[in-house]
Amino acid sequence: MNEIKKTYKNYVGGKYVRSESGKTFRIELKNEFYEVPLTSRKDIRDAVVAAKKGHTDWQKLSPYNKTQVLYRLSEMLEGNFETYQQLLQDAGLTKAKAKEDIHKAVDSIIWYAGMADKWEQMTGNLNPVAGDFFNISHQESLGVVFTLNSNTQSLNSLLLNMLPALTVGCSVISFNEENSVLALKLAEDINNSDLPGGALNIMSGKFELLIEDISNHVEITAMAIYKEIHNDEKTMIKENASKSLKRIFINPPTMGLEALFPFIETKTVWHPKGR
Amino acid sequence: MSLTKEAQNILNWSDTVELIDNLRVDEVGLKERVASLATRSIKKDSKLQALNYIISMCDLTTLEGEDTEGKIGQMTAKAIRPDPSNDEVPSVAAVCVYPALVSKAKKMTQNSNVKVASVSSYFPSGQAPLESKILDTQFAIDEGADEIDIVINRKAFFEGDYRKMYDEIVALKEVCKSVHLKTILEVGELRTYENIKKASLISLAAGSDFIKTSTGKISNGSSREACYLMAKAVWDYKTVTGFKAGIKVAGGIRDSKDAIRYLVIVNEELGSEWLNPDYFRFGASSLVDDVLKQIKKLKTNAYQSSYYFPRG
Amino acid sequence: MNKWEYAESIESSSIVNIEKKYGIFIDGKFQNANSKKFIKTISPSTEEVLSSVSLGNEIDINSAVESAKEGLKIWSKLSGTERAKYLFKLARLIQERSREFAVLETLDGGKPIKESRDFDLPQVAANFFYFAGWADKLDLSWNAKGLKPYGIVGQIIPWNFPLLMLSWKVAPALATGNVVILKPAESTPLTAILFAELCQEVGLPPGVFNLVTGDGSTGAALVKHPDISKIAFTGSTGVGKYIQKETADRDIGLTLELGGKAANIVFNDAAIDQAVEGVVNGIFFNQGHVCCAGSRLVLQEDIHDEFVTKLEKRMQSLRVGNPLDKNTDIGAINSKDQLDKITSLVNEGVEEGGTIFQTDCELPQNGFWFKPTLFTNAQPSYRISREEIFGPVLTTLTFRTPEEAIEISNNTEYGLSAGIWTEKGSKILWTADRLQAGVIWANTFNKFDPSSPFGGYKESGFGREGGRHGLLSYLKVQS
Repeated sequence: MNEIKKTYKNYVGGKYVRSESGKTFRIELKNEFYEVPLTSRKDIRDAVVAAKKGHTDWQKLSPYNKTQVLYRLSEMLEGNFETYQQLLQDAGLTKAKAKEDIHKAVDSIIWYAGMADKWEQMTGNLNPVAGDFFNISHQESLGVVFTLNSNTQSLNSLLLNMLPALTVGCSVISFNEENSVLALKLAEDINNSDLPGGALNIMSGKFELLIEDISNHVEITAMAIYKEIHNDEKTMIKENASKSLKRIFINPPTMGLEALFPFIETKTVWHPKGR
Repeated sequence: MSLTKEAQNILNWSDTVELIDNLRVDEVGLKERVASLATRSIKKDSKLQALNYIISMCDLTTLEGEDTEGKIGQMTAKAIRPDPSNDEVPSVAAVCVYPALVSKAKKMTQNSNVKVASVSSYFPSGQAPLESKILDTQFAIDEGADEIDIVINRKAFFEGDYRKMYDEIVALKEVCKSVHLKTILEVGELRTYENIKKASLISLAAGSDFIKTSTGKISNGSSREACYLMAKAVWDYKTVTGFKAGIKVAGGIRDSKDAIRYLVIVNEELGSEWLNPDYFRFGASSLVDDVLKQIKKLKTNAYQSSYYFPRG
Repeated sequence: MNKWEYAESIESSSIVNIEKKYGIFIDGKFQNANSKKFIKTISPSTEEVLSSVSLGNEIDINSAVESAKEGLKIWSKLSGTERAKYLFKLARLIQERSREFAVLETLDGGKPIKESRDFDLPQVAANFFYFAGWADKLDLSWNAKGLKPYGIVGQIIPWNFPLLMLSWKVAPALATGNVVILKPAESTPLTAILFAELCQEVGLPPGVFNLVTGDGSTGAALVKHPDISKIAFTGSTGVGKYIQKETADRDIGLTLELGGKAANIVFNDAAIDQAVEGVVNGIFFNQGHVCCAGSRLVLQEDIHDEFVTKLEKRMQSLRVGNPLDKNTDIGAINSKDQLDKITSLVNEGVEEGGTIFQTDCELPQNGFWFKPTLFTNAQPSYRISREEIFGPVLTTLTFRTPEEAIEISNNTEYGLSAGIWTEKGSKILWTADRLQAGVIWANTFNKFDPSSPFGGYKESGFGREGGRHGLLSYLKVQS
């Protein structure tokens, strides 16, 4: 029997919102239909406003606080294990694979949670300059990051598309297509984890409809494309990005210290040493 | 530095310059100290004592464009007798109004100990020539004000013309003569701790009896950090000149818990000699209601509602 | 003139549940020690007996080592992620039971509840959270090949920050894949025992964390045991030297965190009011029972009188009394022994010629107490200027030039910490470059963070705890 499930909403600025266009699109998972928002360019505009505030609020939390927030997310996920397991099975995974995926997802969050209060110790350093100067390089988060997530039906993969930018203090607009149901379900746990509103925004839609608007939006500081896209799409994005020096990353790594590199900016400070 | 006191409590300009030279305040250290003072746990008798202090140190305030004599009538009655059901609750220290309402306020409080304070000097912005400020102040005094609350000239301060800022206060103190003068710094605009300390010391040196945190007219009102800083300035000024000035905190102090934290700062930084209306005031309106509720709760052990207490 | 006295605001101790007797914790459970001897642990503020704990002997240490060997077999097979999860769970439980731990710490050790609640416990939880997050990413900590855990680690901790020192030792050791035998201080075993209960609750594999209570003899037995690959010790320099000597015949990892006589340097261009706060915090925090205490005020002569006047006034507002009173700033001295040591050195200071100032406060009848004390007109050669007093006693020395400040500050066998007070940035950096101290606080004092390495130069010890560098205390370079 074909049932129409509840309509999932976008998660923007810490709230659940429909598309201002009122439009949705349908995702079919193993005999279940789900209606998810067809994000419009105005939705993107609003998300960027929310993400800017989210960046301010998220960035100023101490690294220790960030660890706590992310750790809490892992606790929320564990608590909803069965829900995710069902969704993944509906998406076509076997029971065993679904469970394995969720375990990996929890481990990934834990890895990144414990990274939030450490990564600066791995990327920053004192520079041994010549002269009576104290010179230190440290890193800050870039700002608002747009991520286009891969379509893999995997909770772990989804999280790995969100966590690197988030961990270093960026705010994220996470855009999802075929795995939107999983992503928008995840939004509920994000909401319960004390992450400031706007720090992580989760939206669904069709990227090809928005590719111009997103790549032209000056206040999106960086784009990380985790999904496989056509070469001409890549070219268009990079050309539009050049107008405001938006940083573009195609298929960046999702684990390891290297996963953080795209999302940080280095600041070097000098100060004399004298009486 | 050896300084001599001149007329009343005014310090001459060159000594004032020495006082404000090289002011150094560490923001992080100061915030930590204030936060640590906020961990004091004030309970039982010491809480009741504090609540009564607060009432007796309040300047019940109304400074609205829509104030009328009717409004003043209500407020002064409340000022004299904040809780009709409890005779132990003292009167407040003063009412604080605009110059146009001074004579009504004076009439309504003439048979009590409640003083009438008036703002002046082109409150709240102070953006006017000195002549206008003098007229404004003289009018309020002629109407019967016991106390005057002026604002510092922030334009002069931010332009670096500290001499002008000082001269204005000296001139206004001269108009006041024996009328008690409070000088509002507007700490929310001054922002940095060095600015607040500098403005405090200049105001004290120019003859202020009290320094006051805020006009209550901008969103950044008083803060405990500002109060602490002003306490330090008052102490340093006393060390140098022997003159004991007072502090008034106003703008944003809405509940008893917060007000008690201010008292802790005064108690531990200046001493219990400052814990009376001659040396410390709260500029407030809704604070009194919360204090009355707390006093009643201590007596009855039940949380209260504001409809038990009169409107002011 | 009515003074405003604060009424008592006592934190209830009904939240803690102390047994009459405790055994040792090995093989993942509490059990009777082989030793039939017990030591009493008392509350130093009232002298009442809180409990009796085992006085572990050599056989108990041996059992602990056997237990640790079994624990290591399991622990070394777990992934970093699995180790991380245990540590995160411990961190969570500590957070949840913070109040209970804080009250217990105050009862057992005498420190004010305000400090155990607002400083000790949050730091303890933070340490477990921080090191949990290293367990699954040790490969990123150092770009050095061949770093491996030692295996079985013996840890001996002091009585001044019992649970905090436990967290500084246990969290990194477990995160890096080691297993632990912990010997807490004789006078403060109770929070370590409660911690062992938490280990049971999270299901930590048996033998990974072992606890043997006792006295100096227990510690000596631990140090002597041939199957221990690493000793980490925090305590007095005297005992530290003893341990270094005792382990000379073995290839064993050793980190020592010992005493100090830190200089708190105040230049004439300091933010004076904040410097006063920093100096007060530096020596009176935790009754001065702090290895990195700023126990020497090294003050520029031209601001001496102004500064000392402010300092004495500020000291006068310190409240000494019942540690369970939330308004107490200075608690009890940890033991009769320590009180005697402090008293003797202070008396000597007066005899040597120092001018003494003590605050005007009423001390309780029972328990061990000492008034906040300041010496001025002291000389660098006095014993009070050179020896670690480990109490609420500050000695003032003056200097005229920055070079002199450096000389005076470095003129000690200790080198744990130092403070620099000046608003001039370049002077901070110039001075920091020249001070022989492992931790330097500029315009602040007594700041700790799990990510910030802590440890000393010279006879204040070697090795670091905390941060990326602290991991090296528990990772051996394989040759």
